[in-house]
Amino acid sequence: MSLAAEAFVSQIAAAEPWPENATLYQPLREDQILLSDCASSLAVQAYLRMCNLPVQVSCRPNAEYMSPSGKVPFVHVGNQVVSELGPIVQFTKAKGHSLSDGLDDVQRAEMKAYMELVNNMLLTAELYIQWCDDNTAAEISRPRYSSPYSWPLNHILAYQKQWEVRRKMTAIGWAGKNLEQVYEDVSQCCQALSQRLGTQPYFFNKQPTELDALVFGHLFTILTTRLTSDELSEKVKSYSNLLAFCRRIEQSYFEDSQAGSTSRGFSKGPSLI
Amino acid sequence: MTATNMAASMELRCWGADWGLPSVHTESLIVLAYAKFSGADLTVAPIDWTWRTLTATVPELICQESRVTEPAQILNFLRKLRFNADYELSARQGADTMAYIALLEEKLRPALLHTFWVDTENYASLTRPWFASRSPFPLNFLVPCRHANTALSRILLTKSESPLHTITDVEGKIYSEAKECLNLLSHRLGAAYYFFGNTPCSLDAFVFGFIAPLHKASLPSSPLQNHLRQLENLQRFCDHILSAHFSSHPGSPQPVQEMVDANLQKLTQLVNKESNLIEKMDDNLRSSPQHKPLRSDPRPNSSDHRNSTPA
Repeated sequence: MSLAAEAFVSQIAAAEPWPENATLYQPLREDQILLSDCASSLAVQAYLRMCNLPVQVSCRPNAEYMSPSGKVPFVHVGNQVVSELGPIVQFTKAKGHSLSDGLDDVQRAEMKAYMELVNNMLLTAELYIQWCDDNTAAEISRPRYSSPYSWPLNHILAYQKQWEVRRKMTAIGWAGKNLEQVYEDVSQCCQALSQRLGTQPYFFNKQPTELDALVFGHLFTILTTRLTSDELSEKVKSYSNLLAFCRRIEQSYFEDSQAGSTSRGFSKGPSLI
Repeated sequence: MTATNMAASMELRCWGADWGLPSVHTESLIVLAYAKFSGADLTVAPIDWTWRTLTATVPELICQESRVTEPAQILNFLRKLRFNADYELSARQGADTMAYIALLEEKLRPALLHTFWVDTENYASLTRPWFASRSPFPLNFLVPCRHANTALSRILLTKSESPLHTITDVEGKIYSEAKECLNLLSHRLGAAYYFFGNTPCSLDAFVFGFIAPLHKASLPSSPLQNHLRQLENLQRFCDHILSAHFSSHPGSPQPVQEMVDANLQKLTQLVNKESNLIEKMDDNLRSSPQHKPLRSDPRPNSSDHRNSTPA
């Protein structure tokens, strides 16, 4: 969207309050959704719950194609469709709900920097592990991604997606990395997050912000997803304050929902396989 | 690490110098700046006019038998050799460093790539001639094209929302994100000389590497450069690092010297002004004894009285 169109949209957004029937779309939870999409979706759900905005989660096999930017999740609010955490945060801010108003400029700079760190390292590592590691791609990602479709579409779509992700990895320079280096990057990222969090309940004082939602989404999904090897979740588990952080947010914001949205047994680790 | 390791010669292959910078290439600048900050002694071997412009991945550090590429890897390698500029950072500052580097990569790099390699005016008048003139025949036809194609595909793959979008759809978004990133850096830097305390560290090297080409290159059309011109503290940051670490006069730490000189200058000016006032009061007292000495009689004198009127 051009800048003028964005400004126009946020003006329209500001005009109406948040409706009751806002819906969040994501791929099918049991069969289709992959680690990275699940993490992004959980981050958005956590953010909306932190803002006290009601949203219903609807699972569709073609959610990725319905989305205006090609990425899930996206929310359908009133007569507007917004995808990805960044634009959704701006959209809710235009409607008057914001979690980061109390931060000063330097803190806001830090928050944005840490959100980029999570996107740059954790999300890219998740995509790498899913699509560039041959084992995981063959056993988990391709079958899951194409499960709603019949032959030959399932093969075509799965390989197309894999090719697309590998192209992106080559462009940003991750194609030359091996799995060990990727796990090492994840570990460094978690170490940075753990040091920033320290002993505080949330990243910025006592109030959660969008950074907390994003970190929760990724870490919780990593911890509760079973992949071909446990090494990724082991890397996260080695930082106890991050574990406590995830547990705290799960208890504060997700306890009330039943099997509907996301409350999974934390230690039982239901798999996405 | 033994002393022989530390004294081993290390060679850095990078793009050459121009525009007042030790190198025009962002990654090479990052490594050069970090080497200066940490005291590592590198022999700089520019790849200009060699066939390595096509074959080598730049920057590349060669130390005895090991070859390391990519700024992050090279910095790690230097740290293992005890050239560590981040020694005094706390754990939290180290975490902040990683976060800000990620911010630079995600938000600023696409716009910089676009400014130098995709924007037709800049590419045709500045970037391509420079890189073509530094590559041997017949590579001068290949090298700039290849870099430009890589830059364009990187921007489109990471920033565009659908495979059908063209570069123009993405331009607005990447430039607004880059301007926001520059504002955030400016807020974080504030009035300090470096990002963390009084000594430079790896974050300073990264920010310098990204911003210095934008600051120094004479780009014909660049909204991003105009935006940078409004952020004085970032410009001062670049200039200070250039003068303190890359100038041809080595010597005493300059920031302290500069501040002391500035303070001394201000003090001298103040003392001069005071003495001039006292002089005038004396003259008034002598010239017209019946009047109170409060009436000032301004005269042009040697000090810097800007608003003095002739007596």
